[in-house]
Amino acid sequence: MAGLETFYDVMRRQGITRRSFLKYCSLTAAALGLGPEMVPEIAHAMETKPRLPVLWLHGLECTCCSESFIRSAHPLVKDVVLSMISLDYDDTLMASAGHQAEAILDEVMTKYKGNYILAVEGNPPLNEDGMYCIIGGKPFVDQLKKVAKDAKAIISWGSCASYGCVQAARPNPTRATPVHEVIFDKPIIKVPGCPPIAEVMTGVITYMLTFDRIPELDRQGRPKMFYSQRIHDKCYRRPHFDAGQYVEKFDDEGARKGYCLYKVGCKGPTTYNACSTVRWNDGVSFPIQAGHGCIGCSEDGFWDKGSWYARLSDIKGQGFGIEANADQIGLAATAAVGGAVAVHAAVSALKRAQHKGDAQ
Amino acid sequence: MNTPSGAEGARRLIVGPFNRVEGDLEVRLEVADGAVRAAFVNSPLFRGFERILEGRDPADALVIAPRICGICSVSQSQAAALALAGLQGIGPTQNGRIATNLLVATENVADHLTHFHLFFMPDFARAAYAGRPWFAEAEARFKAGKGTSARRLMAARATLMHILGLLAGRWPHTLAIQPGGVTRRAEPRDQMRLLATLGAVRAALEAHLYGAPLERVAELAAREELEAWRATGPAGDFRLFLEIAADLGLERIGRAYDRFLSFGAYPGDDGPLYPAGTYAERRPGRLDPAAIAEDHTFARMEDRAVPHHPFAGSTIPDGLDETGYTWCKAPRLAGLPFETGALARQVIDGQPLLRAMVGAGGGSVFARVVARLVETARTLIAMEGWVRALEPNAPWCTPGTHPQAGRAVGLTEAARGALGHWVEIAGGRISRYQIIAPTTWNFSPRDAAGVPGPLEAALVGAAVLPGETTPLSVQHIVRSFDPCMVCTVH
Repeated sequence: MAGLETFYDVMRRQGITRRSFLKYCSLTAAALGLGPEMVPEIAHAMETKPRLPVLWLHGLECTCCSESFIRSAHPLVKDVVLSMISLDYDDTLMASAGHQAEAILDEVMTKYKGNYILAVEGNPPLNEDGMYCIIGGKPFVDQLKKVAKDAKAIISWGSCASYGCVQAARPNPTRATPVHEVIFDKPIIKVPGCPPIAEVMTGVITYMLTFDRIPELDRQGRPKMFYSQRIHDKCYRRPHFDAGQYVEKFDDEGARKGYCLYKVGCKGPTTYNACSTVRWNDGVSFPIQAGHGCIGCSEDGFWDKGSWYARLSDIKGQGFGIEANADQIGLAATAAVGGAVAVHAAVSALKRAQHKGDAQ
Repeated sequence: MNTPSGAEGARRLIVGPFNRVEGDLEVRLEVADGAVRAAFVNSPLFRGFERILEGRDPADALVIAPRICGICSVSQSQAAALALAGLQGIGPTQNGRIATNLLVATENVADHLTHFHLFFMPDFARAAYAGRPWFAEAEARFKAGKGTSARRLMAARATLMHILGLLAGRWPHTLAIQPGGVTRRAEPRDQMRLLATLGAVRAALEAHLYGAPLERVAELAAREELEAWRATGPAGDFRLFLEIAADLGLERIGRAYDRFLSFGAYPGDDGPLYPAGTYAERRPGRLDPAAIAEDHTFARMEDRAVPHHPFAGSTIPDGLDETGYTWCKAPRLAGLPFETGALARQVIDGQPLLRAMVGAGGGSVFARVVARLVETARTLIAMEGWVRALEPNAPWCTPGTHPQAGRAVGLTEAARGALGHWVEIAGGRISRYQIIAPTTWNFSPRDAAGVPGPLEAALVGAAVLPGETTPLSVQHIVRSFDPCMVCTVH
């Protein structure tokens, strides 16, 4: 019966007015970086396209992706997106429970065979035949494979599903394994971050549902519209980096002046994400704005690259945008101030030595 | 599977996966004569954070440990920071302590509100209750995904979360809490924004949840006052809950051991806002952290011979263990299971209404939910005071260095109860990291003496109606603890 229901039908049924619907289309266009001329196109698509169901599965995880998602910036966007997906299957939020929930999963898979989106939060642990994550009496990896089989595409929410994340950190006790190392025959869209930014999540899912296609991805499978720039590229503290003005420790004079956090471990120069442009919690702030370095949580392997509070020793070869590494920039800049240079260099050597120790 | 032999007519029910709890949960029930005779709680998800932390730079615990849980990440972050501060022999600055209180309180209040509106109340909008006089109102307010109160809560909660955005950069997985304080200073204009945010949250809750000023809820002192509230209002979600609770007898279900423990929440100049301690046999007592030990008899973990204090604890999963039925260890205080959470904090603090309720009917489903709603009001009032107490020009974070060797513990309270991180370092690296989370206490399995954990005890006697496969009473009892399964086994 709901086979031909459009997104617009669903929204109206949820009590969303025409006016709010059009507002939502404008917000979506803005969030996706599309011009206002795209608004009618989005509206038309939502009015005519049958609704694509989204099945949201949870594996080995901490639920931070869901938590981030349900507080998307604009209440309207959140309402609409939730009305599009929560009708189907999500075991944290949905109304039904237990076997009833499992039955809904089966029903959607049959009815929309080959035509639903599978969103995965967390990942499957493979040690001990998958028994570290048992869903409904079976290993999560079995559920994942079963639901993936007839999916149109898969969204890997967060760094767990995309790369493994901290639960896959040495010694990876459960052999937590990212989705793309278990599912090989479906398009996979990676939306990394621990957690990803809410607006990035809703942006990606809205794009896919609205245009019925996968957003343009980079080599690693991340949507280019959100992951093509480093935190560093758009960081509001960047001028202080370029000027060689650094925070040496939390709450020091430099911290009070809003200097660059590179020396207290900021991974912004090597991290691709939208934090410094989209920001967090309704655009209120992001970690760097709260005086703490970026930890690089949207990068593959961020959990095993040495301490988060030691600075990056070499960011050359990462396409820094300047023909030098950060040390040289820092050296050149601080040389004018004098005195600090020796300390700076010594810290750098120490960091390199530590890194060797880590790598054993 | 090994099922203890049962009496005539006994049957076994497996309830799970549960939705509207944080994480994965399965409960095995033995049912006879229309009631639960025994319950076995299984936490089916294990990741091994304690092992992952071993061998790392101690400071990295501030990044890894909070990722145990996307819901309680600030509490986990605070517990790690307190443990590292203990190792460094420092404490947070005055501002750092207050800002941390604000961050933890924001998360705890948000969790209480989420629990009530999105996890607990939607059960009363189920078709099974369609014949009850309050059903239409419950459905209008709380039906999953549609209820008006649930939607309003989502908006109020997002507003409340601006506090975490402003003071800590982002949520979940904030990074601002450090052993010596916080990385983010608040300027006078930030104080104004924080007060405005708290004011907006207060207004939303007073309008719809309580229908009354927060102060009136915080000062509730006697059961008769609750009775009067139910009978004559003010109208709101709280009054509706009181009506449902009275009709369904929620005061008579879900009682565990009436033995409570708290590690103490929100430190201040004169001690914590809600003190550390115990409450058992209707008497308050002192908390002795040295008397805590974890029993592995029914956990699929090695080292089963004797219970271990966390400083001697281990986390080595044993997938071949046939006796174990969960990944969750069984923490005990002086050998006994204890319940933890908002009810424990309020009872230990001597909040008169909750003391009276526990005195009359024990720690029931009803008492647990009332405790969260009273605590929400009390905590929000305290938060307004904390914002005013911040001194923008005073220090915010003290530097410290880790010794080469040592051990320390960080004890705090998450929304769901007592949270502890026990850290040991050797050669400048973490050599042992043991965590006991609130739901580890509440949802622990049996211990060597065969004594069930608090939830397992609370479920005994719960009604199972003919034909029920996921009994409603069981769902109410389980959700009354507001379990966080991802924290339970980490």
